[in-house]
Amino acid sequence: MSMLKNIIRSFTLSELLKGMRLTGRRLVSKKTTIRYPEEKTPQSPRFRGLHALRRYPNGEERCIGCKLCEAVCPALAITIDSEEREDGSRRTTRFDIDLFKCVFCGFCEEACPVDAVVETRIFEYSFFERGTHIMTKDMLLEVGRKNEDQIAADRQADVAYR
Amino acid sequence: MSEESIKLFINDKEVSAPKGAMLIEVTDQLDIDIPRFCYHKKLSVVANCRMCMVEVEKAPKPLPACATPVVEGMKVYTKSPVALEAQRDTMEFLLINHPLDCPVCDQGGECELQDIAMGYGEGVSRYMERKRVVLDKELGPLVSTDMTRCIHCTRCVRFGSEIAGMQELGATGRGEFMEIGTYVERSLSSELSGNVIDICPVGALNAKPSRMHARSWEMLQSANVAPHDSVGSNIYMHTLRNKVIRVVPRENEALNQTWISDRDRFSYEGLRADDRATQPMFKGDHGWHGKNWDSCLEQVIEKIKQYPAEQIGVLAAPHSTLEELYLLQKVFRHLNVQNIDHRIRQVDFTDQEAMPLFPYLGQSIESIEKNDAIFLIGCDVRLEQPMLAHRMRQASARGCKLTSLNPQSFDFHFVNQSTWNVAPQQWVLALAGIAGCAEPEALQKLPPALIAMIEKTSISTQAKEVFDLLKNGEQASIMLGAIAESHPQASALRALANFIANNTNSHFGIIAQAGNSVGAWLSGFVPHRLPAGKASTNIGLNAVEMLVNPRKVCVLFNLEPEFDFANAPAAIKAMQEAEFVVIFSPYLTESMLDYANAILPIATFAETEGTYVNAEGHWQSVTNAISVSEEVRPAWRVLRVLANKLGIADTQYQSCSQIRDEIKSLLEGEDEFDSNLKDLNHINLNLDEGSLFRVSSTPIYAADNVVRRANSLQATVYGQQPHVAMCEQQARDLDVLKETRVRVVQGNQEMTLDLLLNDAIPMRCVWIQRSAEEIDQLGVTIAPVEIQRLAHV
Amino acid sequence: MTTGVKSQRKKLRGQQRGRQVDPSALQEIQSIIRTLPLRKDLMIEYLHLIQDKYQHISAKHMVALAHELKLAPTEVYEVATFYHHFDVVKENDTAPPALTVRVCDSITCEMFGAENLVNELQNFYSDQPVRVQRVPCVGRCAEAPIAVVGKNPINHAKLETVRNVVEAGNTDAPVSDYITYNNYINSGGYQLVNRYFDSTNSTETIIEIMKDSGLRGLGGAGFPAGKKWEIVRQQPGPRVLAVNIDEGEPGTFKDRHFLEKDPHRFLEGALIAAHVVEIDEIYIYLRDEYAGCYEILQHELDQLKKDPPFKLPHIELRRGAGAYICGEESAMIESIEGKRGMPRLRPPYLAQVGLFGRPTLEHNLETLFWVRDILEKGAPWFGLQGRNDRRGMRSFSVSGRVKKPGVHITDAGITINELIEEHCGGMLDGHTFYGYFPGGASGGILPASMGDIPLDFDTLDEYDCFIGSAAIIVLSDKDSARVAATNAMRFFEHESCGQCTPCRVGTAKAVDLMEEKTWDIPLLQDLTGVMRDASICGLGQAAPNPMESVIKHFSHELNDKNS
Repeated sequence: MSMLKNIIRSFTLSELLKGMRLTGRRLVSKKTTIRYPEEKTPQSPRFRGLHALRRYPNGEERCIGCKLCEAVCPALAITIDSEEREDGSRRTTRFDIDLFKCVFCGFCEEACPVDAVVETRIFEYSFFERGTHIMTKDMLLEVGRKNEDQIAADRQADVAYR
Repeated sequence: MSEESIKLFINDKEVSAPKGAMLIEVTDQLDIDIPRFCYHKKLSVVANCRMCMVEVEKAPKPLPACATPVVEGMKVYTKSPVALEAQRDTMEFLLINHPLDCPVCDQGGECELQDIAMGYGEGVSRYMERKRVVLDKELGPLVSTDMTRCIHCTRCVRFGSEIAGMQELGATGRGEFMEIGTYVERSLSSELSGNVIDICPVGALNAKPSRMHARSWEMLQSANVAPHDSVGSNIYMHTLRNKVIRVVPRENEALNQTWISDRDRFSYEGLRADDRATQPMFKGDHGWHGKNWDSCLEQVIEKIKQYPAEQIGVLAAPHSTLEELYLLQKVFRHLNVQNIDHRIRQVDFTDQEAMPLFPYLGQSIESIEKNDAIFLIGCDVRLEQPMLAHRMRQASARGCKLTSLNPQSFDFHFVNQSTWNVAPQQWVLALAGIAGCAEPEALQKLPPALIAMIEKTSISTQAKEVFDLLKNGEQASIMLGAIAESHPQASALRALANFIANNTNSHFGIIAQAGNSVGAWLSGFVPHRLPAGKASTNIGLNAVEMLVNPRKVCVLFNLEPEFDFANAPAAIKAMQEAEFVVIFSPYLTESMLDYANAILPIATFAETEGTYVNAEGHWQSVTNAISVSEEVRPAWRVLRVLANKLGIADTQYQSCSQIRDEIKSLLEGEDEFDSNLKDLNHINLNLDEGSLFRVSSTPIYAADNVVRRANSLQATVYGQQPHVAMCEQQARDLDVLKETRVRVVQGNQEMTLDLLLNDAIPMRCVWIQRSAEEIDQLGVTIAPVEIQRLAHV
Repeated sequence: MTTGVKSQRKKLRGQQRGRQVDPSALQEIQSIIRTLPLRKDLMIEYLHLIQDKYQHISAKHMVALAHELKLAPTEVYEVATFYHHFDVVKENDTAPPALTVRVCDSITCEMFGAENLVNELQNFYSDQPVRVQRVPCVGRCAEAPIAVVGKNPINHAKLETVRNVVEAGNTDAPVSDYITYNNYINSGGYQLVNRYFDSTNSTETIIEIMKDSGLRGLGGAGFPAGKKWEIVRQQPGPRVLAVNIDEGEPGTFKDRHFLEKDPHRFLEGALIAAHVVEIDEIYIYLRDEYAGCYEILQHELDQLKKDPPFKLPHIELRRGAGAYICGEESAMIESIEGKRGMPRLRPPYLAQVGLFGRPTLEHNLETLFWVRDILEKGAPWFGLQGRNDRRGMRSFSVSGRVKKPGVHITDAGITINELIEEHCGGMLDGHTFYGYFPGGASGGILPASMGDIPLDFDTLDEYDCFIGSAAIIVLSDKDSARVAATNAMRFFEHESCGQCTPCRVGTAKAVDLMEEKTWDIPLLQDLTGVMRDASICGLGQAAPNPMESVIKHFSHELNDKNS
């Protein structure tokens, strides 16, 4: 009995038609994929991507070297050295984030009392040489400089929940 | 405190406490936590912070635990709603003016105010008015200030007047305008000033050298011992990523209590000096070249073996560890070398056979406080041994009378202090005068030369006073300091002091100078004794003889000839004349490159395990706080390899403690220490009776190679410029009263120095101030000199 | 040792101490303080001498003084900056002008227009070398407002009167007419001690009389005088007597009144007390504002010592230097010892460990003032006075809106209404009685509706007020209790010694809060609670009293949006 059914099914190409129907339906329905990299998915203002160090509008770096991010980091990805700058303020001389270690938990952002270290929306980055996975202070500041508008807007959007 | 004990109830638990104790002392004993800011167990009670409020039954108001004496049957509640409310209220008051800058404050994480605020403070302040702002004060290179953070507990002020003996910080103004500061801007000059950093409960006073370098939670702590003086103060080294960030005291009631000297606290800066030696080097035919350890040591052995044993001299610094000194002498005694010495600042060795097992303080450090009369001979104790000076200061606060025989008035900051300023060539005479007060028959114990001297001397009133002071004291002590040690008649001074002590029933003490001077004696690092003080049949040359008759081979351990010897020019000359110089040193100086033939980079005290024996004979073994970098090696490992290569039996030490145990086993049975000389007959009275003598001492921050490189210490008031000082009359007699600079001629050496007047210096003597940065090119520290006017252009 | 060439010759004394002593300053100091022995406890006297000579105290003089006294310069600096009458000039700072006009801005003077006067004077002297300074109460509230030119107080001061005095250069304190030594002796003074000297059991008798009389300490605390004598007498000698004439409480001027009239009466009382308690040293501490009284006392003490009626104990007269807190008994002791006037912790009590570590009998001037009368007239005499079930006499320093302000000696227990009617000639014309301070700035404020409470120790406790030194300030409907309370709090902020946190921070914060338009009452009450519970001495504990009174009795002023 079942053999007969199978024979009929294969000769009428019903399975093919079933498949073609699905294909046909998808052909006209709304797409769920996007064409990356030309297209991007929407991101939350709380997106936790590549880190950045910010500056104040007057150009002064925000980071005061309190090392709270270093202390809170569960992956021990942050290394900071600090000392007194000539004007008597506390500043970092080294601010390294090891992106291989980082788990993008966002604790550093949360711990920062001056909103200096932030996680941006950037998620596309790659390394081609050994050692370059460590973001130095200058690199982080540069990320911050380039994306300050977005970073500031994102903080502003979240202000009610902080 | 009286022995009587009473019963009271704390949080409904019955406890007993000594009568008259303050409540907070009792709760601290029982580990019941009461928050406090102004109370400190070593300082007087002022009860001004009002934080330690507790509820006492029947008292109408909460009472401050620090100023409430316990009473029989008293019922105290430390955590009741009333007590907590009072504490919370005070906390709120303190926070009204305290800035919220914890993220940038070095005290953050170890701050008493922060801790207690977390426990009691409100998250949000109810006071929105402006906070008070106070200008920071400049307190010199060691202490940084953020005075806005000050909560006026006045611990630092009390520390100054009660512990340091010099009130440098004070509370000025009143009410809201009260500020802590110095009288006009000036730096702190106390040698204990760094302790205000520890006692400040907030971040108002912090360590300047480590300012903003690390946070308290990220540093690793290792227990160590400071080797710069013979107290062996217990310290914690706080390190971050293999770098010493700061040093804080480790409480030890028997040694340093809760304090340490600035020298112990800030010497760590020398650990990372620019001139650290980083790899073994050997000077071959084609100049210097870096070597690996193995070939370097082999070449050293090969070279040394070419010379006869008596042409080899070995000198080591007395702040090296016990194990290092023991192994070093073991290696060279194996080669039959007997010219071994650590007494680099001594010039008179006449009584070396009569010396006790080691130069013993004659009592425990703790018991110094119990003295009621102390006589110091040739000792600037505050700058030589700051923690001993602290003990003496505490004794003086309790009524102890201190007097000293010195070449000038040193500022000890004791309560009751007198000084007998005598030119050094007359010290023996002065002591003979005191000895002359003893019973005539007792005098027979002295050598005839001294008896003759005593008989000729008429007893001065000062001598009589000192004798009576010691005789009448319940517990009296005589101690010999660094200036006496480097005196050309040191043996006679020791004999006389010992004699006076015995006849006045006083403790006789020789203050060992460096962190392990005692250890050097115990480990046999002297030419006339083997380890554990065993007599040696073959007596070698002492430190001075080795320099005066330079050996062909010279081995220097942890030493710098320019600064560490009593006679710098002789030391430099000896090095230059030697054919082969091996230097074990953590540092590499220009001059070493000139005269050395092999340089072996060794670890500093922070990087090596080891044992130190302090002035009271107390052994302390510590591990390293940080590890060595590059090719630097702990010296005991280098010496072990050297011993192995020489095929010395039983030197396969796996750990430093094995070496220590070996020394300990040699010392079996030597539990009782004695400071007395074995006999009083070995004395040297020879002195070139020049009309004018110079005197110097080693500056406090020139004590050893590490301290000399601590820049912050050098920037203090003790980093003095070299100069020559004399009294006005002397200057007039020498016809240099109008001069600002003079030429000092000592033997065939001469120097031009600034001239200062100091009327505390007696006639026939000038004080030459040495410095940590410039070489004393004149020679020995106590010797005849001539002062000449410079030719005017 | 190659060193840079130093052109200047350095002279080193002992070890390097950082700051060197300027030889010329040292000479100046030596010549100034030559008249006094060299003792650490005379520090404030030395500083006065320097201030008097140079009108300020410069850094070099402080270093020189420290050198003379063998102290750290900081110790001198601490003391000099504590007292407001010393103008400490740091290096590189300019010295203040030689002449200072001090205008009292405390409660009564403020009511009588001190604010205006200060502004006028400041405007007028803005470009002249005359310094106009606001100061707390100078003890002349009955003649408010007061300006003090140099040391010369000007009653009912106006711009013109001050100007005239400044131009005339009258800066010395005038001396009032008083009963001189001879007059006092002639009128039977200094007889009592002789009478009691010989008899053996007399001391017990005197103490009994004193106890029976019911005389209590009239400085404010009200401790029974006879009992105090007995307690101190039981302590091991040597003992000291300290006489407190540092009345700084705004509204109080009774001690000045007695001193200006009859300076020997309290001295006799002091000598009797010294005799009974077997005291051989008497220290008299007079506030610096009473320059005229100082002249009187100095002169009369000289007279007394020159021709003593019997063997005198050692008597020393000391000046304060502008610190209200030194009226607190232990702070005064500290000040006499030459330190900053910071109250001590008790126990130990002064009767056990007081001045120079000795058992100390401390009395207010007025307490001793009555001793002679009590002994002459017998114990019952003093107790027979009084009304409304109270015993004894009080000297009320009345100021404010009454016709006859001044010291009125009358029955203890009199009510304010009786006092105004019987002694003060009623309220000023056009003023209606509104409220009163029963005991100076710290005693609280009571409304007119509570004008029938007997004024004495203890009777005001239930209203959270106290009589203290019996300084009555009468407010009228033209005044605001709120303004007066804020003024009082400003006074306490100014006078807080700064030792303990609650008072130091609390007074300052309270002023800020009270100057706000609307009072945050719960917050102020919390503040009050902490200050009361946790302050070391009475200043901090009593400072919130007027503020509390306003909240309790004058709440309508707080609701009033216009105030």
